[in-house]
Amino acid sequence: MEGGSESERTQRLELILQQVESLPTLPAVAMRLLQVTGNDDSDARQVTEIVQSDPALTSRVLAMCHKADKGVREPVTTVDRAVVLLGFEAIRNAVLSIKVFELFADRSGNEVEVVKGFSQAGFWRHSLAVAVAAELLAEEQRDFRDELNPSEAFVCGLLHDLGKLVLDHLLPKSYERVIEVTEQHQLNISDVERRVIGLDHHTVGKRLAEHWRLPHVLQDCIWLHGAPYQSLPEIKNRRMVGLVGLADLLARKNHLGYSGNYHLGETLESKAEEAGLDASCVVRVTEALHEELQRRAEVIGLGDSPSRTLFLQSIMQANEVLGRLNRKLEERREQSHEQTSVLEEITEFHKESLAPGRNVQDALGSVVISAERVFGKGYYGILYQNSAGQPWLINQYGEDGRVAHGQYVDPPVHSPNLAKLMEENSASMGMMGFLPWIADYLLESQDVREVRLLPLKCRWGSAAVLLHDRRDLPTGLQLESLTHTWGAAIGAAAQHQGARRLGEQLVESNRQLVEAQDSLLENQSMARLGEMAAGAAHEMNNPLAVISGRAQLLASRLEMGSREQQDADQIWRQADRLSDLITALRLFAEPPRPKIAVIAIEDIVDEAIHQMKQVEPEAEAPVVTGPEEALKLRTDGEHLSTVLGVLLTNAAQAEPRSRIRVDASVDDLNDRLMFKVKDDGVGMEAAALEHAFDPFFSAKPAGRRVGIGLAKAKRLLEGLGGAIELNSAPGIGTTAIVTLPLDLATTEEASMVMSGESDA
Amino acid sequence: MAEQSEIRGKQVFTTGEAAEVCQVSQQTIIRCFDSGRLQGFRVPGSRFRRIPREELVRFMKDNDIPLDRLGGGKRRVLVVDDDEQIVELFVDVLERDGRFEVRTAHTGYDAGVATQQFHPELIILDYMLPDVNGNVVCKTIRDNPDLEGTKVIIVSGVVNQDEINTLLEAGADDFVKKPFNIDRLVERIGELLEMA
Repeated sequence: MEGGSESERTQRLELILQQVESLPTLPAVAMRLLQVTGNDDSDARQVTEIVQSDPALTSRVLAMCHKADKGVREPVTTVDRAVVLLGFEAIRNAVLSIKVFELFADRSGNEVEVVKGFSQAGFWRHSLAVAVAAELLAEEQRDFRDELNPSEAFVCGLLHDLGKLVLDHLLPKSYERVIEVTEQHQLNISDVERRVIGLDHHTVGKRLAEHWRLPHVLQDCIWLHGAPYQSLPEIKNRRMVGLVGLADLLARKNHLGYSGNYHLGETLESKAEEAGLDASCVVRVTEALHEELQRRAEVIGLGDSPSRTLFLQSIMQANEVLGRLNRKLEERREQSHEQTSVLEEITEFHKESLAPGRNVQDALGSVVISAERVFGKGYYGILYQNSAGQPWLINQYGEDGRVAHGQYVDPPVHSPNLAKLMEENSASMGMMGFLPWIADYLLESQDVREVRLLPLKCRWGSAAVLLHDRRDLPTGLQLESLTHTWGAAIGAAAQHQGARRLGEQLVESNRQLVEAQDSLLENQSMARLGEMAAGAAHEMNNPLAVISGRAQLLASRLEMGSREQQDADQIWRQADRLSDLITALRLFAEPPRPKIAVIAIEDIVDEAIHQMKQVEPEAEAPVVTGPEEALKLRTDGEHLSTVLGVLLTNAAQAEPRSRIRVDASVDDLNDRLMFKVKDDGVGMEAAALEHAFDPFFSAKPAGRRVGIGLAKAKRLLEGLGGAIELNSAPGIGTTAIVTLPLDLATTEEASMVMSGESDA
Repeated sequence: MAEQSEIRGKQVFTTGEAAEVCQVSQQTIIRCFDSGRLQGFRVPGSRFRRIPREELVRFMKDNDIPLDRLGGGKRRVLVVDDDEQIVELFVDVLERDGRFEVRTAHTGYDAGVATQQFHPELIILDYMLPDVNGNVVCKTIRDNPDLEGTKVIIVSGVVNQDEINTLLEAGADDFVKKPFNIDRLVERIGELLEMA
């Protein structure tokens, strides 16, 4: 979130969440298929019926058969046979993906591929890869047959990133920006989502899953698949969530489709072990994944481009199903209009509000619809304040019962809370006499003199008032039962929503806690290494001093240039080398504190290149590109150029000799400085990448000096509040990315440095 | 020559000896003594003038008189380290050079005693002694006005820039990391003792 007060931020987030819940519901076909388990014949019959009930689907399923089984001689012409041939799961999964996709597929109304921003094809490829991986993994986990049903795992994997579709659908502009920033700097997309939008796809996906009443296991996977396993609450579906997380990592490590997450730090094995899964199957699954994915993609029609046309056709046809569903809803609404008795209305209202997981917006909407039923058509709105001190929500409704205009406003200064204002009043009253300032926020077409207020008793601190233009309301007990019922429903929804938000925040905090624990653990082991290195330095440097000193004395007594003298020299140098290593280890464990000063960015890069040249004098000069303006930073120039020097030296040592590129840039969100050091050598295997930051690990051929360089660079950067990441794969070279907080020197500081230079 | 080596070892000089060392007449030395430009004392119960070595060195430096006759002899170096092998190495290195007279000590306490008796011109001091840390020894030496001209080189196997800075502030003249380059060490000792 860039700028904005806390209350604006809260309002914005609430509006997004409201929008999520105003998305169309999942088509009935898909819902019914989800409820069928596929365990026996009766289920197979049910599936057949469900598919047959939808002609578009029927033709789609039959088309799938043609593609899937080329060995079948007779063309498949009945759904019955298709179900037998393809199996229940294949059909269920295909229908589900088609149905979810069509809700989001057509935002611009044409088929032009979106060049910038979110690629749906890549998204589906990733989703499908995770689904297939999850299924294959689940099949291997014989110990957990009950918890990990393979076909369920498939569906969980397929929909795990649902939230991304939602964000892209609701906020196409912002999401394009999220993708852009993620791509540019190769970050984890959920971090960028939280920064740009304020919510990540986990939370949004969870909301939609609840809204669609998807099975709990799906809701949990969508919500929690990105969270570290240890931080997961003790829920029933914990292991499935872990499995989907593992499948996600597997798909990402194999670069299948587009996930927008570039963090590949964890190993598959450790992730599997965390979740208590059998890690030995990971290799087998990886091997089978590509082929299986290809096969499934063809069956479902997500594969190659020709099927895209087919896909769009089926979406058009499926729209008819939605249309029919809407008509039914309309009919039902007309029937309700005829019910006028207040008591009947209350019964009706209760029935509706009993559904679990309703939020405040739902409750407010139901109240308005309910009011319209009893009071007749007209102007309706709601004033709502969640708790003392919060902004007021003003919702105004259109004739269809949907929110035509929703807005959060701050009441005038010193105005009492809504609950306090309404305490004394229970009857309808004119707005202009009571809250005239509200008029500024009402729709222009509305005659403000007609608007009246009807307080609803909510209890638990929240407060709501119905805005309406009805003159003749029921009186006495009847009216009071209505306002109490409505108020209680709103109050309960507010409580529920608050609890839900807290739950979501808890997961987020848990995630941060695990991250903090990891770095604490690392710091502890660093402190221990530091103590050890200090002890070693003291204990080892004395004998080394004796070896080195004696060798020097010996050399001085031997004939200059003789074999013996050269040997003595050799002993001396090797002893010194050992000592240097001990010093390096100690500096690594306890790096000196940074000394912040003002320095020009190009000076840092020049010094780093100089350091690289010292080690690799043969290396070609790197190609340097930088930010357009000359930046003066406040940082420890020595540490930063050491870091870049290490990266450049590594790049220069990449085989085959390649051209090195250095790019310095400022993050668009303007709080990060980035350096990218890129070579196009052979790249690193995943195994090498995982250990790249371990001291003394080297991917260079045996016999070369081993590296403490990257480990040291990481430590120094952490001292400057920065981080370092490696992106590499065999055949495409390695890119090291350094990010650190941008701390620009003020103009005065910068000019002081400038004049200092000219004096020198 | 026998006479010269006696002079080299002396801590207190007569005016005659001082005149010889400085290559001036005895009368000049007496005049400077009496006018206070050359500080010293009289032997109790007599009028014989005596000049302590430190004061003579100061006087000679102030007046640009070459120190060869006084200091051309061996320079006194005290080596303090608890590691016997290290001590022996230093002794061998310094004796090979030939310009130094070396004493050794293994603890901070030994070092104190040796300093009092031997009046070393330079101390090579291990930072981590069994009984006391190098910076304490350093500070003790600096707080003693009698040892004003004594140079201190700290040696240590542990390099930590902050600690080095603390040592230099405590009055150490230099810091050398173990293992060390013996030629460079001897050169540095020569510089500190202003040996040509």
